[in-house]
Amino acid sequence: MTGAPIRTGLTLGLALVLAIVVGVCAGHDWATPADLMRAVAGDQALRSRLLVEWRIPRVLAAALVGALLGLGGVVFQGVFRNPLAEPYLLGSAGGAALGATVALLVPLAMPQSILLPLLAFAGAWGATVLVIGISRVSGAVDAAGMLLAGVAVAAILGALRSFLMLALSDETVSLQIVLSWVLGGVQTPTWPVLGLLTLISAGCLGLTLLLAGRLDVLGLGETMAVAFGLNVTRFIAVAVLAGSVVVAAAVAFGGLVAFVGLAAPHIARWMVGPLHRPLLPASALVGAIIVTLADAIARAALPPAEIPLGLVTAVAGGPFFIMLLARRLRT
Amino acid sequence: MTSLVADRLVLKRGGATLLDDLSLSLGATGSVAIIGPNGAGKSTLLKVLAGIERPLSGTVRVGDRDLAALSSASRARAIGFLPQYFDPHWDLTVQELVRLGAERSDHLTVDAVDKVIDTFELDGLGRRRWSTLSGGERARVLLAAVLVVDPPVLLADEPAASLDIRHRLDVIETLTRRGIDRLSVVVVHDLDLAFRFFERVIMMDQGRIVADAPAAALIDDPRLDAVFKVRFERLETSDGPVLRAVKVADSAGLG
Repeated sequence: MTGAPIRTGLTLGLALVLAIVVGVCAGHDWATPADLMRAVAGDQALRSRLLVEWRIPRVLAAALVGALLGLGGVVFQGVFRNPLAEPYLLGSAGGAALGATVALLVPLAMPQSILLPLLAFAGAWGATVLVIGISRVSGAVDAAGMLLAGVAVAAILGALRSFLMLALSDETVSLQIVLSWVLGGVQTPTWPVLGLLTLISAGCLGLTLLLAGRLDVLGLGETMAVAFGLNVTRFIAVAVLAGSVVVAAAVAFGGLVAFVGLAAPHIARWMVGPLHRPLLPASALVGAIIVTLADAIARAALPPAEIPLGLVTAVAGGPFFIMLLARRLRT
Repeated sequence: MTSLVADRLVLKRGGATLLDDLSLSLGATGSVAIIGPNGAGKSTLLKVLAGIERPLSGTVRVGDRDLAALSSASRARAIGFLPQYFDPHWDLTVQELVRLGAERSDHLTVDAVDKVIDTFELDGLGRRRWSTLSGGERARVLLAAVLVVDPPVLLADEPAASLDIRHRLDVIETLTRRGIDRLSVVVVHDLDLAFRFFERVIMMDQGRIVADAPAAALIDDPRLDAVFKVRFERLETSDGPVLRAVKVADSAGLG
């Protein structure tokens, strides 16, 4: 390949570093880059310790959640060959959130740390399979039909989740936890948890890169994909499973964050083109930058309160979606 | 060298019989045109022969092997398929499309990609994106992507139908030339192209093969008029007869 994707990669990497620095400095109590240097160098002052133990892990977690959303978006758009596909819109993220809500509110016989990601994955996968099934049965396999099926499924799952929240929350399980999650928000992780999230994200990148070549072939359309030797039915099933793993990871750590999975692949496609091998890492970087900055805004805009991250991305991403939709309807 | 033999293919969909107990034997070389009115089952037959659709019953043998038993990858290497419509979802470049075609084969050199790009005169277009190509350029790119692995069997579904006449002739000539040492089967709507360029013509109607003969023998056959429900005037030219269709007021007299 040419050097262009590598140059774009370096540019995006640099932009992400800058975004992370801005993210760490931002907050209701703004830090300067000098404060940051001092804190990282091992300063024991309370302010420096807070930066290292609270703000830096939070910002890095936001970046990783964004990267996961960027990867998930590429997989979903690739599988459904639909540039408007997105985990949030197709009900997949909603399914993950329902699974997570069950894990948080329903007393079950397993520890929550295992149950939550497991149910989040089951929810993401189940919702996606349901949407595919509905659009197949109703014959609405085009982009718009599938989105409508996704919107309907997302609405049903949202209602179920709200019902569970109302019916099952009491003083012991706070509605606040679930609610902050539904609205999207990265919890501040401890450093070991952040390490785990890093491993999961790297694994998701590797997993989705394994699908890259076949996503390209699938993009030729089902007939040509079969003619070029792809077992389309089996591949879609595998790719939906992989996409659900990515979405479940993103939702488990970041809640319901809208539109990043839609916007990041588009922005990345403008930069590196539609081939999936360069697109996946590029979209992960773009997603990381978007969520890092959105999370900074969420923490710094209305001090001392924190705006839910999902609200920030929805306000910024909604118009982006409308623009894409309008452009698509015109052509 | 790979022959293609279909035995008693049946395919039904939504109550309609698309292939009705159809058998067909194609040798390892030759250029074959499939003609027939709309809905005759031509595209369906081609897709079944290519392994893209499965028949309800019946078998297709590729060489000495059962098509259904072949892996997707070896089927894709043995049989090239050119669809009637091709509209990729992502706006790939010419080079990327040809390379995706080449990735069907695991032992293909970079040379093969360069060679096919050269053969189809795509040198200047390598970095151009699909959306910026003209119809004729698109046809050449698609041919290049399908033929880059040089499959012994090529099945083409009217790939030239929407092109202007010069590009149409280009594509048809490319397809028939492959019939010299390989098998090239093409669904053709333009009957004159079918009779002028192909060695063998297969005429389909209602999911069955009505006639299967050398082109020169079939052009005078009255079944041609019956299947297409018109009366053909055979106009003699220095290049053989040319067909002109005349509408018949009432088709009752045409068996």
